[in-house]
Amino acid sequence: MPLKMKPDSIHEDDDCLFAVEYDGPPLPYDIPRAVPINMDRIPVAAVVSPVCISAAMSFPVIQPILSIDSTKKQLSREKMVSPTSVIEHVSDSTAVSPTEEVSGELEETTRGLAFCDSFEVSEEKESLDNESVLSMDYPSSRVTGDCVSETGGKKQQVVTFLGIASDDDDDEEEDCIQKRTRVVPVKKQPQTKGKKGSCYRCFKGNRFTEKEVCLVCDAKYCSSCVLRAMGSMPEGRKCVSCIGCPIDESKRGSLGKCSRMLKRLLNDLEVKQIMKTERFCEANQLPAEYVYVNGQPLYPEELVALQTCANPPKKLKPGDYWYDKVSGLWGKEGEKPYQIISPHLNVGGPISAEASNGNTQVFINGREITKVELRMLQLAGVQCAGNPHFWVNEDGSYQEEGQKNTKGYIWGKAGTKLLCAVLSLPVPSKSISNASGDQLHSANSRSILDHLEHRTLQKILLVGNSGSGTSTIFKQAKILYKDIPFLEDERENIKVIIQTNVYGYLGMLLEGRERFEEEALGVMNAKQSLIEDEEGDAKSNIKTLYSIGPRLKAFSDWLLKTMAAGNLGVIFPAASREYAPLVEELWRDAAIQATYKRRSELGLLPSVASYFLERAIDVLTPDYEPSDLDILYAEGVTSSSGLACLDFSFPQTAAEENLDPSDHLDSLLRYQLIRVPSRGLGENCKWIDMFEDVGMVVFVVSMSDYDQVSEDGTNKMLLAKKLFESIITHPIFEQMDFLLILNKYDLLEEKVERVPLTRCEWFQDFNPVVSRHRSNNNNGNPTLGQLAFHYMAVKFKRFYSSLTGKKLFVSSSKSLDPNSVDASLKLAMEILKWSEERANICMSEYSMYSTEPSSFSN
Amino acid sequence: MSVSELKERHAVATETVNNLRDRLRQRRLQLLDTDVSKYSAAQGRSPVKFGATDLVCCRTLLGHTGKVYSLDWTPERNRIVSASQDGRLIVWNALTSQKTHAIKLPCAWVMTCAFSPNGQTVACGGLDSVCSIFSLSSTADKDGTVPVSRTLSGHRGYVSCCQYVPNEDAHLITSSGDQTCVLWDVTTGLKTSVFGGEFQSGHTGDVLSVSFSGSNRNWFISGSCDTTACLWDTRAASRAVRTFHGHEGDVNTVKFFPDGYRFGTGSDDGTCRLYDLRTGHQLQVYHQANGDGENLPVTSIAFSASGRLLFAGYANNSTCYVWDTLLGEVVLDLGELQDSHKNRISCLGMSADGSALCTGSWDSNLKIWAFGGHRRVI
Repeated sequence: MPLKMKPDSIHEDDDCLFAVEYDGPPLPYDIPRAVPINMDRIPVAAVVSPVCISAAMSFPVIQPILSIDSTKKQLSREKMVSPTSVIEHVSDSTAVSPTEEVSGELEETTRGLAFCDSFEVSEEKESLDNESVLSMDYPSSRVTGDCVSETGGKKQQVVTFLGIASDDDDDEEEDCIQKRTRVVPVKKQPQTKGKKGSCYRCFKGNRFTEKEVCLVCDAKYCSSCVLRAMGSMPEGRKCVSCIGCPIDESKRGSLGKCSRMLKRLLNDLEVKQIMKTERFCEANQLPAEYVYVNGQPLYPEELVALQTCANPPKKLKPGDYWYDKVSGLWGKEGEKPYQIISPHLNVGGPISAEASNGNTQVFINGREITKVELRMLQLAGVQCAGNPHFWVNEDGSYQEEGQKNTKGYIWGKAGTKLLCAVLSLPVPSKSISNASGDQLHSANSRSILDHLEHRTLQKILLVGNSGSGTSTIFKQAKILYKDIPFLEDERENIKVIIQTNVYGYLGMLLEGRERFEEEALGVMNAKQSLIEDEEGDAKSNIKTLYSIGPRLKAFSDWLLKTMAAGNLGVIFPAASREYAPLVEELWRDAAIQATYKRRSELGLLPSVASYFLERAIDVLTPDYEPSDLDILYAEGVTSSSGLACLDFSFPQTAAEENLDPSDHLDSLLRYQLIRVPSRGLGENCKWIDMFEDVGMVVFVVSMSDYDQVSEDGTNKMLLAKKLFESIITHPIFEQMDFLLILNKYDLLEEKVERVPLTRCEWFQDFNPVVSRHRSNNNNGNPTLGQLAFHYMAVKFKRFYSSLTGKKLFVSSSKSLDPNSVDASLKLAMEILKWSEERANICMSEYSMYSTEPSSFSN
Repeated sequence: MSVSELKERHAVATETVNNLRDRLRQRRLQLLDTDVSKYSAAQGRSPVKFGATDLVCCRTLLGHTGKVYSLDWTPERNRIVSASQDGRLIVWNALTSQKTHAIKLPCAWVMTCAFSPNGQTVACGGLDSVCSIFSLSSTADKDGTVPVSRTLSGHRGYVSCCQYVPNEDAHLITSSGDQTCVLWDVTTGLKTSVFGGEFQSGHTGDVLSVSFSGSNRNWFISGSCDTTACLWDTRAASRAVRTFHGHEGDVNTVKFFPDGYRFGTGSDDGTCRLYDLRTGHQLQVYHQANGDGENLPVTSIAFSASGRLLFAGYANNSTCYVWDTLLGEVVLDLGELQDSHKNRISCLGMSADGSALCTGSWDSNLKIWAFGGHRRVI
């Protein structure tokens, strides 16, 4: 490899190094890549190049300095770097006909497709002739590229729609110069190397195999290729290379109509989403400049006005239309009226007399009407003698030009409508008189507009310290909103996890027991030494409340040793059956129960431990099957170190179905709940900018944590506060809505009676007697738990607003109670909806939720 | 010995360590009489000059629909793998811009990806805390999902970076938010060795980046949130060979200098630095004072094949400075060029032969930059 750069020390002669480094641009390498594309063309390129070099030795050096037309230069550059185009242009330079140029470009795009397959084969050959030819080739290709761009440059960008940024610029420029010129929709043509009717990607199959068609370029793919060729279909059924391009207008009819093949390949929800985006995404909307109304192309806002009016024209396609603004008559250029749409839209130019190509000498609103219309008028009883000029209003009232009095209503008689149907002429749509129909239309059109602005998937980030209950909420959501929350093998895994956990809890208890025993012994010893017991009883006989028998002691030691070695998970499934009775005995032992009573002193023991410990026998049998509730209680089920996400949509309840139709769309809105465990993600929140696009952040705090301490001795509530602070102050979340879920309300209620809230130094000033908070409790007296919750909510809110100046949404929940989790998540959904309409809603409306969090507490 | 006594002793020991560290730093400062830029300026070097077409964007790789977070080249210089927040890995042919594989990931929050030395497999890792290996030769099922050929699980934090050991397809190193780096045996899926972690022998913050030495494949460096970079020997995992201090912010990215005796770092404090392995000295600081006094974090760096140029992507709109490593001057900003990215450049990669630079950005595109004009050989 003569051109390969040697990594040299920087102290060497760098000028030389530098020159070498940049003399080996990737471009020369590119050219041999073209070899596999068209073997027989290669010698042509090699032969031509030396000729060109001599002719243009000075040319390429000067060219870049003359930066008059930067976009054009860019174009030429784009061309020459493309490996295939280099060859194309070399051959083109002999015959510079623009049409050939176009076909060459097209071929190039498809060759790329075939190319990757043949690539590997030619690799050896390429490395052989690589260096010799290519550095020489370069200037020649540059020259030819420039020559061609003069003639074929403009043409190319119209045809290929390749998403090159410079093309767009160029188009805009053109737009500015020639306003409202006729734009002809250009169809992107794919080319296939395979035989006719075969798949464009794998070249297999025939015309009878089922295929999916790209909406833009008409490429057809068989079922095994379609997902690869079209990727995730962010704009519906388009090849990945066509994303962002306007669709082929002839396929507009099939927009949003799913094929059987796609239904087979994807699940229902995915299909629904893809079809929805296909219909509504911006790139697939009718390009305004293709629609001509009264001889003028529409501006985008005019098209939107047209499509969103009460009576939009049906089946709007690119083409020429006439529109009678006074009566709302609408038809194709040169034809009779087709429909009556909403009148008085400011769309297109003034109507011309020949719009419908009539020859009856009778005019309606300045348009010469067709024979059929005249016939209809005559049959409807309108006096048409003497070539009158009529003014027809949208309600069908007509008057002769220059006269004030209304002569009658064209569609007044029932017979006229029948007549119109016979003559296939339009009648005014019912919806003008029917208000509800009107609403339906506007709701529909609004959804289109909404869709243009908003994405369909709303992401909710669920954060919280370990032990705060994020995973329980996550599991609860899974059970609530998923038809099959846990698959069979998932349940099997969960079972293993639960059983491991139970042993873990036991271990913690035993550890605690040892500690308490030592303490108790210490106390007793102290007493004994005080008493100076002369009897001198053997100390080994001293029994404390926390002592256990030797058999259990042995088991306990074994368990603790296994835990310390960290291979509890490895050993126990086999040992499970053997030790189950021992576990029960252990659990029933007075010493363990005594230890268990002091569990709040064991910082590591989670509150759910008792749930499982009390059922240890059941749980530890090999044929134990975890119930949904067990899964809820279980720790570590949702991948404890990584994050978990759940796609769901809120199921529609019967009550909601009766609401107005725009709400129906909500059930289609998908939400993604992403749970990030704080432990696995480090302290620096380096990952947080990945969640820039989430709709809101739900922060979960366990209220019962106020008296718990973590391993390093800090209060867990303060830890939660610290994490909360670091997340709300992160610049990424500056504009984000936060919902604070104060979790484990049930535990708080129970605990706050025993342990004062002031145990946590942040809550020093909690004074329930002074607190005069109105409560929704029916008996009028708020419980201590409610007061404590209110107090904490206010504490967090003040903290939040002092840092961000915004209001915090707070909700309480009992994560083990499905209803309360459902309520909290629904609140999150509401907040998401409101934040979209923030401008329209007055502030007082939300404050209801932020100042009265207790409304969600039960 | 009581707990309080132990705590006291711990405090004393910590203070001693800090004092020693301070003394070391001062001693180093004394010994450093010059840096690279002063020396080369004294030698009469002039910075590299860029002509209008010397570096141009010659390819734009379109296809991702989310922020691109990571990219990697194959050693045979024609293919790129990129990882994006749309949950896909895409393998590109860099020469034709053609996609050869699009792999849907089970977890969309991917932070890193790597090509194996033989180009047959790709690895990726992210917030799911596992490193997944995909074989490019395995066939996709009808949904277009390629089965994971190997899952390396064991990290207790996100996987921030992964890299194959040069010329060894069976070994891979990952760095993680759990403060460790792990060397994996890909064939068995088990940890070979763990660097740092439990005994405070390594990093004390999230490890964000690793880079292997090109000359000695037992050496790699890691950069971390604890503002240091560490040199490790894969044969001796117990402690870092050397720890490099100097940065004042999280070290986001580390990259070996092409000669394998130096390495560059990029940090949240807005600087890139060049360190020497043999002396442990910091050779040069690359810092461009910003107008409003704020330091733009460096997201990613790459060296040219000779090492004369350092490309550094910054965490604002598409800024990517090209530093002259000798003189410590910015000679070009890729963000100012035509066709530049429209959002933050999140990852950089130099092709193995140094002929092209690939940049990945939050605007969901990748761009390939290369020499774009004719230049007379001097």
